[in-house]
Order: sequence, then C-alpha cells, then structure tokens
Amino acid sequence: MSAPATGNGADGEAPLLAVHDLKKHFPIHHGVISRVVGQVYAVDGVSFEIKPGETLGLVGESGCGKSTVGRTVLKLLEPTDGRIEVRGTDITGLNARAMMPYRQQMQMIFQDPYASLNPRMSAAQIVEEPLIIHDVGAAAERTERVAQLFERVGLGARHMHSYPHEFSGGQRQRIGIARALALNPDLIVGDEPVSALDVSIQAQIINLLKDLQEEFELSYLFIAHDLAVVEHISHRVAVMYLGRIVEITDKTKLFETPLHPYTEALLSAVPIPKARSRGRKRTILAGDVPSPINPPPGCHFHQRCPYAHDRCRVEAPTLREILPGHQAACHLHDDGPALPLATPAGD
Amino acid sequence: MDILTQVEPSGQVAPREFAALEDAVLEIADLQTHFFTDDGVVRAVDGVSYAVRKGETLGVVGESGCGKSVTALSILRLVANPPGRIVGGAIRFEGRDLLEMSESEMEEIRGNEISMIFQEPMTSLNPLFTVGRQIAEAISLHQGLGKREAMELAIEMLNRVHIPEPASRAQAYPHQLSGGMRQRVMIAMAMSCNPKILIADEPTTALDVTIQAQILDLMREIQEQLGQAIILITHDMGVVAENADRVVVMYAGRKVEEAPVDELFDNPGHPYTMGLLSAIPNLEEAAHDEGGQARLNEIKGMVPSLANLPPGCVFAPRCGFATDQCTSAYPPLTEERPGHWVACWHAGRLLEAGS
Ligand SMILES: Nc1ncnc2c1ncn2[C@@H]1O[C@H](COP(=O)(O)OP(=O)(O)OP(=O)(O)O)[C@@H](O)[C@H]1O
Ligand SMILES: Nc1ncnc2c1ncn2[C@@H]1O[C@H](COP(=O)(O)OP(=O)(O)OP(=O)(O)O)[C@@H](O)[C@H]1O
Ligand code: SF4
Ligand code: SF4
Ligand SMILES: [Mg+2]
Ligand SMILES: [Mg+2]
Repeated sequence: MSAPATGNGADGEAPLLAVHDLKKHFPIHHGVISRVVGQVYAVDGVSFEIKPGETLGLVGESGCGKSTVGRTVLKLLEPTDGRIEVRGTDITGLNARAMMPYRQQMQMIFQDPYASLNPRMSAAQIVEEPLIIHDVGAAAERTERVAQLFERVGLGARHMHSYPHEFSGGQRQRIGIARALALNPDLIVGDEPVSALDVSIQAQIINLLKDLQEEFELSYLFIAHDLAVVEHISHRVAVMYLGRIVEITDKTKLFETPLHPYTEALLSAVPIPKARSRGRKRTILAGDVPSPINPPPGCHFHQRCPYAHDRCRVEAPTLREILPGHQAACHLHDDGPALPLATPAGD
Repeated sequence: MDILTQVEPSGQVAPREFAALEDAVLEIADLQTHFFTDDGVVRAVDGVSYAVRKGETLGVVGESGCGKSVTALSILRLVANPPGRIVGGAIRFEGRDLLEMSESEMEEIRGNEISMIFQEPMTSLNPLFTVGRQIAEAISLHQGLGKREAMELAIEMLNRVHIPEPASRAQAYPHQLSGGMRQRVMIAMAMSCNPKILIADEPTTALDVTIQAQILDLMREIQEQLGQAIILITHDMGVVAENADRVVVMYAGRKVEEAPVDELFDNPGHPYTMGLLSAIPNLEEAAHDEGGQARLNEIKGMVPSLANLPPGCVFAPRCGFATDQCTSAYPPLTEERPGHWVACWHAGRLLEAGS
C-alpha cells in the first residue's frame, strides 16, 4: 500500500529537482551562554520532485515553512537533514565553491520587491550583478544581455539607469525577474512573487512568468498563499501544514477530490469573487495554527480537524499515494481511499 | 439629487453628482482630502460620495493608493494635518456634519458611535498593556463604567469573539496572541461600545484564508445581532462578493462605480471594474485549465500619480474604450440602472453590450 514518498511523477521523466525527507530546524537559544533550549521544527520531513518545464505550487498557512523550504532547496539555508538532488546529483553536502554551477541553475524571486533590491544600485546594475559574480561574458556582452533582459520582462531601456525607489511595485518585481533570468537558470523559486501586488499588476506578472516558462522551459517552485493564483500558475500543487506536506497532486485532482481535511477546509475558505456568493456555506476551521516549536503529537492537524479520531492524536500519518498520482498524509485513508472525506473512518 | 458643478484647481470643470440614499446612517458627500507635499498636492480623495444604511455592509474596493483608507480616516477626522487636510465636502451622521463638529464632540463620536478596525492590529494595540485592560479602558472611557464592571464586560466581549478561556486570555499581552486572535481582540474592542458604524479597513488582509473566514463570519454574526452598518474596505473581490450588500469601486481618488453586489459582478459598467474582475484568477476555472494555457486579463499600464493626474477621465491612459471625449472631460457619475452608478462616458453602451 505504501509508495515511495517522492514517486509522484507518474510518467518516467527524470526530475530536475528531487527533495527527499528535507528537514530544517532552527535552534532556540536562551540565556548568557546561549544554551539551546528548543527547536523550531520549521521544515520537518518534506519530499517532492519538479520536472523540467513544470511548476509545483506550494501553499499553506503563514509560518508553515514554505519560505524555509524554498531557501533550503537553494541552499541559502543549510538543511538539518535530508537530501537535495539536481538532475540526479546530490548537492546537499557541496561546499560554496562546488555549489557555484548549481547556483547558476537555480534562482529566486522574492515577495517584497521593495526590500529585495539594493537601493544604491541602478536597475541595470542589479540585473548585471549575477553575471559579474559568475564571471559571465565581457563588459560589452553583459551590457547587451542586460538590455535584452529589460526588453524581455517589459521594462523600457530608458529605465535602465533608474534606481529602485523610482519604480512601482510591479516594475520592481520585473527587475527581480530579469535578475533571476540573467544566468539562464533551469529552476526559479518564487517566494510569494505576486503577493504584494495589486490584482491588475499581479495579472501582468503571472502572465509574464508563464510566457517565460514556455520560452525557456523553466521549472518553478511557486510559493503563495492565494490558492486561486497557485492553481492558475501550477501544474501540481503541494499543501503544507506545520512543517510537512499533507497533500500533493496535480492541480485538478487537488481541487476536485481533496484527500486531506486541511486541503478541503482551505478550498472551502477561499472567497469566491462572483455574484451570489454572499453568505456561502463553508467548512470553517476552529482554532489557530499550532506552534512549530511544540508541534502537537500525532497528526499536526488533529486539534483543528473535524474528522480527528483517537489514532490521530498519537500516530503521525505518513504521506503516501492514496489514489494514482495523488498523495496525502491522513489516517482517514488507512483502509483505502475514504471519499467523500466525511465518510466515518474505520475505527 | 444634488448636482454640484465646481471649478477645480486644475481648471477642469467636473460635475459631481450623488443621490441621497434613503435611511442612510452615514453619508459622505463630495469629500475632498488632499495632502500638501513638497512634490505638489496629492489629491488622495477627490470628490468621493457614498452612504451606508443600518445593518448593511458597504464594500469599498480599488487599487492600492486609490484613497480607500484616507476616506475612512476622514470620516473619523484622523487624517494627519499637516500634510493632509479635508478641503471640501460633508460627512453627515444622524443629521449632523462631522466636519463641523468640535474636537471634543468628535471624541464622543469616535469609538462610541463610529469605530474602526485597522489592518495591522499590532500597531493599534499597546504592547505594554494586557488586552483585557485595553478593552476595559475603552469601555470605561466611553460608557463610564467602574474598573471591575468594565473588565467583566471586556471578558464578555472576548467570549463573544470566540476567544477560548477569555478570562485568562484577558491577561495576555498582544505579542502573546496569534495574528488571528489579535484581530479578534480588535473586533471585541471596536464592538465593545456597540457603535452604530464599524469601519473595517482590510481587517483580514494580514491573515490566512482559514482564519480570515473565521473573522469575517464573526463580524457578520455580530452585525446580525446588533445591526451595525459596516464599511468594509478591502482589495479582495472575493471578500467583497461574500460579505458586502453594495460595493463602491474607487480609482485614483474617485468613486468610479457603485452598485448592489450581484449587479456589480454580473454587469460591471466601468472599464476599470471590468478589468479588475477579469484579472482575478478564478479558482475553479484555474483548476480545470489542464494545459495551463489560460492567460489572465491584464490592465495594461499603471495607476497615475495622484499629484499629477491626467486631464479628463483618470482611467483613460489604461482604458481600451477611451475616445477623445474621455481625455477632454471627466465623466460624471450617472445612474445607469437602479442603484447602479458609473462614471464613464461610454457606460450606457458598455452595459448594453455586456448584458
Ligand atoms: N531564522 C530563523 N530562526 C528561527 N525560526 C525561524 C527562522 N526562519 C523561520 N523561522 C520559523 O520557521 C517557521 C516557518 O517559517 P517560514 O518563513 O518558512 O514560513 P512561511 O510558510 O514562509 O510563512 P509566511 O506565509 O508567513 O511567509 C516559522 O515558525 C518561523 O517563525
Ligand atoms: N501622509 C501622506 N502624505 C502624502 N500622501 C499621502 C499620505 N497619506 C496617504 N497619502 C496618499 O494618499 C493616497 C491614498 O492613500 P490611501 O492610504 O487612502 O490608499 P488605499 O486605497 O487605502 O491603499 P491601500 O490599498 O494600499 O491601503 C495614496 O496615493 C497615498 O500615497
Ligand atoms: S490524520 Fe486524523 S487529524 Fe490528521 S487530517 Fe487525517 S483525520 Fe484529521
Ligand atoms: S470615460 Fe472613457 S477612458 Fe474613462 S473609463 Fe469610460 S471609456 Fe474609459
Ligand atoms: Mg514565507
Ligand atoms: Mg489602505
């Protein structure tokens, strides 16, 4: 019954990125001698794959570990445990020097276009910087490349010598995208790249990201909390809760047949921008997200789960394939898929 | 219907119209709030009118910076002066103009009659005092209750906003609570004096969807019990669709459209509203777009600077329907259908084509 936790690519295409049982714990220090008094279990055993040209969306409540996953995958944070493979090569233990070629292949776009750009550099310098760091091309070639990138992300050449504060939020995000593209990466981790933007600007950036993906066969790990945005841009979606992936499958299955109670509640809570939605009936979850410092025993979701039963309070469910290409971590499916979810569990 | 025609500083003639809403508890009429900065006059609110009835939720939407919050702050006369100043209009509440009141009369209104919930609860809660004490102080200030009774009422309010173990939570400091709980404390505080009007400025923007759903349901539940008018400011069209009775759409300091909620979503009359609605990814459609081919509709370009507005219709530089008429004169708000107001020269034609 149990399938390998990473086997979510049904067809045999080799993954660009494969993450196995990734963990990132942050020690909590206390007192004058900085004694470690506990751990933040920010990411606690996460596995997934991304194929070339594919977008994996990553959703979940604030603090569930999405950004930490993104940053650890790029090794901007050292993983506590687990393995990260790029095209089959294990990069987990590589030192900074050995990481250089992989750094080129994997780039990041940040949420806050205001904070993520150096205010003392012009837009052109910001976009050129990765080329200089990785020693790509002569000065004249770099200048030409920067001009191309400006055009590709829809910024006029006249903007090249302006500074970040002279741009709007959407324009700044375009600069961030141009910088991420500079080294021709294979994978871009977008950490809430459109969350700070107005709807009309958000649409511009999402369309741009889709066009670039098609043109350059980019893979994206797209982190966001807006489920409609994630479903729009992703091929597959992973749902995180308190440091763990609780469900992962293609976007249509996730929407049509959510197998995890948290996914079900999340889908139900998304407000629908349509006429006659007023007072819509939905599943409202009680309570708040528990702390990743003292995660509850058993299933991390049991205190808020409407279907929680005795087993959930003691034993953590593992993420496994419940239906073809559809993994979830929930005891409801211990005796085979239980659908719809409200079906009483077998205990 | 009043029709004021006024010569603006820019030399433009802008006809301003608004209809008096029957049984409105609060009515903003032709409000103008400007900021006098080194870069010039920022016309943050430039002739906005709207009204809200008892027991009704009025949604106010629009792009970041379009003047939603400044309008709300103007109602409570909380706009920082300098650089800001309310330079025109009226705000009628129970037959009186709030703009004519003395500061001490305004003090009576704030919290007692009209309360506001801000987007970031951390900035409006004092980190040095327990939440129970803060609610109790608001209660004793406005209702003249003694310390003990005020604290009892504060705990009762915390219970009402579904905070578990309210008596012990009352002893907590703001930083000891989660974002969702802090926002519930803000609601408890705002509701504690049973105000007639609640202004909620992005009350759930900082929260997750499952917590957002809790908070919005809670606000609706309290409104059903107490019958307040709610002005709900948000940029989330989904939140508007599920919570508002009527909607005001703002763009660059002005109201460009107003309609009952279903009418707005079914028959948007202003090109900006149309663009906004079609730019939102729809969860269900996105989930079924298996090839991932669907593109979102973009509104090209950006919002103009409020210190340097284009002549004529402010949306013209981004509008696919703009004609010469649009760039020469600002379109008046007209009632195209019952209760459905649009400020667009071509609204009649567009509405006809749409339905
Ligand atoms: N450097 C750090 N030291 C200690 N704890 C950290 C650190 N970085 C993150 N955390 C904690 O790890 C958990 C996961 O944080 P993370 O930023 O990954 O969440 P997220 O899902 O991205 O949330 P959001 O949606 O709010 O961005 C949080 O509880 C956070 O407080
Ligand atoms: N103190 C100030 N000085 C100068 N301009 C100001 C000041 N406060 C607000 N403004 C301007 O007034 C305009 C309206 O601001 P407001 O905060 O009402 O926007 P908003 O619609 O609430 O936007 P958001 O959705 O981002 O909250 C903005 O363009 C803003 O820059
Ligand atoms: S394992 Fe139990 S508590 Fe966890 S999601 Fe499933 S039913 Fe709910
Ligand atoms: S008045 Fe003209 S420019 Fe303005 S929204 Fe209508 S059609 Fe567009
Ligand atoms: Mg994050
Ligand atoms: Mg605001």
